[in-house]
Amino acid sequence: MQLFEDTSVRIAMSKFTIEQKTHTTAEVFYLNGFLDAHTAPQLESAIAGAISEGKNKIVVNFNNLEYISSAGLGVFMVFIEEVRAEGGDIKLTAMKPKVFTVFDLLGFPMLFDITDTEDEALTKFAS
Amino acid sequence: MHPERLAAIGDTTELERIRQFVEVKARSFGFSEPGIHKIALAVDEACSNLIRHSYQSDTSREFYVDIAEQDPNAFVIEISDTGTAFDPLNVPAPNLREYAAQHRKGGFGVHIIRMVMDAVEYLPADPAHPFNRLKLVKHLS
Repeated sequence: MQLFEDTSVRIAMSKFTIEQKTHTTAEVFYLNGFLDAHTAPQLESAIAGAISEGKNKIVVNFNNLEYISSAGLGVFMVFIEEVRAEGGDIKLTAMKPKVFTVFDLLGFPMLFDITDTEDEALTKFAS
Repeated sequence: MHPERLAAIGDTTELERIRQFVEVKARSFGFSEPGIHKIALAVDEACSNLIRHSYQSDTSREFYVDIAEQDPNAFVIEISDTGTAFDPLNVPAPNLREYAAQHRKGGFGVHIIRMVMDAVEYLPADPAHPFNRLKLVKHLS
């Protein structure tokens, strides 16, 4: 248990990063690390920032996300109606099975467009 | 010295450490990765609710996560807190479309806990037991 007493290790463990890229058809967010009640506010402000700039077509790429709890899922619930009302959407893509399980438990596939690949999500926005 | 106990404070930075603690214990108990993930997720959800809603992120307040291996087939986690009693078993299942219409971002944790664990028991504090206790049970299948 000594491992967890080391502050530098603890900071490294709780790492969550977001990379944002503007594609011609949508704004894409790449999530990396662990998304929980501690890190979810970071994602919420990143998406809120894009929406405030009028970017309503959003793709969230989960390829490098290792973990999600319901606090992470809640972020998408906050914005989904708003972006759809303005003709946009939040499409979720490239989830690892462990991450998809959590979305599936709560019935999110019924409400959200979840695709296997980023290209698929971008193509849907283009059409 | 209580080797099966983790003491944590009312701060969401603690969640990663709590998950790590529970994962290590569940793995050595004999669970495979999907089971370990479900147990860690349930404990994360319970502690997230406790830290944010009951303790209001008050870092001076402490709670405990205990592993109680009462039965060789049942992995039991007990979360003890001194907040206002809140029985998660009284929370109705969320309606996703209603929640989206209301822009609600919370209220899923309890539902996840009930879905991934085999048994959930809540014992509010009383004069004989100063802590509220949430017991989560998962059986080795």
